[in-house]
Amino acid sequence: MHWFRFAVLVCIVTVLQAGFLANLDIKPDLLLTLLVFFAVYCNTTEAIITSFVLGFAADIIGYAMGPQTISFGLLGTALAYLHRVIAIRKMSYQALTIFLTCFLAGIVVHFLTFLKGRPTCSDMYAVLFWTSLCSAIVGPFLFSPYAWLMRMKINRFC
Amino acid sequence: MNTDGNDVLPDTTYTTRHRIMARKRIKVSRRMLFAWFILGGFILLFTPQSVTNKFQFAFANIFRWPLSIGRGISLSVSMRPATGGLTNPLGTRENQYQNHIANLQEQLRQEHRKLEELSGLRSRFAFEGAAFVLADISRTVTDGSHAELFINRGENDGLAKGQFVMADNSIIGTISDISPRMAKVRLITDSDSKIEVKIAGANRLMEGIGNNSAKIRQLLRKKHKVKIGDNVFAIKKPGLLDAPMITAKVARCERDDENPLGWDITVEPACEIETIKDVAVIVMNPQK
Repeated sequence: MHWFRFAVLVCIVTVLQAGFLANLDIKPDLLLTLLVFFAVYCNTTEAIITSFVLGFAADIIGYAMGPQTISFGLLGTALAYLHRVIAIRKMSYQALTIFLTCFLAGIVVHFLTFLKGRPTCSDMYAVLFWTSLCSAIVGPFLFSPYAWLMRMKINRFC
Repeated sequence: MNTDGNDVLPDTTYTTRHRIMARKRIKVSRRMLFAWFILGGFILLFTPQSVTNKFQFAFANIFRWPLSIGRGISLSVSMRPATGGLTNPLGTRENQYQNHIANLQEQLRQEHRKLEELSGLRSRFAFEGAAFVLADISRTVTDGSHAELFINRGENDGLAKGQFVMADNSIIGTISDISPRMAKVRLITDSDSKIEVKIAGANRLMEGIGNNSAKIRQLLRKKHKVKIGDNVFAIKKPGLLDAPMITAKVARCERDDENPLGWDITVEPACEIETIKDVAVIVMNPQK
């Protein structure tokens, strides 16, 4: 794992998410697609570290600190352990994984935000659904650029 | 061989062995790693927002150029049509003039009231001693219920918590958090926002509900005549706002399900917040 490259990639994706995509009504969660990418293509220890770092990055551009660090960390770790049993190499499986991870992460974030005493939006499930769907469509196509930037080889069969 | 006749390992083997031992010493199990990170997450979660905000301010400060460029590109790509919608039926420029006229009319009304009350005592005009600190928007945070802006002015520029922020001659929010060089603006549509407003001659609380709208309740349908398009004014607050200023317009006006005698009013900001590029912070009685 090239940790310097990882740091640069996280910075680029975070700035893109906070700047370029911030004003769109329906937008993919790029940091979450990155989380699934590392959970699928890295070893378990690296996946745990990257999940928490990506969660922290998501918190920095989010509304409150903490909820996304925890939810990304939990789901990234779970996904890394799951990947030891089930190989998630097909694009369709990856899309499904992104969709489910995004949806579950959103629910955990809202629960933790509520726990923190912050109000949550009324149409949370609709927002979550569209974000998850958008991420699932865009995500698998981003894996190749991610792999190129990280100098990683991805063996994918469609 | 050394002088005692014992074998001595070459230097390279010695250092390699040390390296292996050192690596073994710092190896942390996955469970421990996970536990430490989760603990860190929970510490972040329960640390007061005023402390954790420093991370967000630092990020916005370090990446302010790429963030503002990205926002600019995003705005130009998703540029909405100049006409249409309740808040902007004529275009941005005309909307600014309309807001300005509404503000002047409300100020005039206030001056008349003052004149009647004080009759002869010396007073000063609204916003006479106020300064407007112009600021660029670094980035926006919107996720359904939350709506915040980061601006590139802070305590060093005379800003303080609670000050009103305006754009296109209308109040769009208040400063919720501040650092020496940056500030966070909580928009009127944020679900944490509560601003006292004047609507149909009555003072009520306007609460943000997200999705670019806010609610006003506890207005009686018989007593208060409210219609779509009516102006909503942020009422004056000593030390923060000298005169009422337009903040929103009525977008929906229905019977309240919880209280059939009352109104359930949904309002939208008086300007298109998504497309604004800079804002002005109202600093009353600035220190020179």
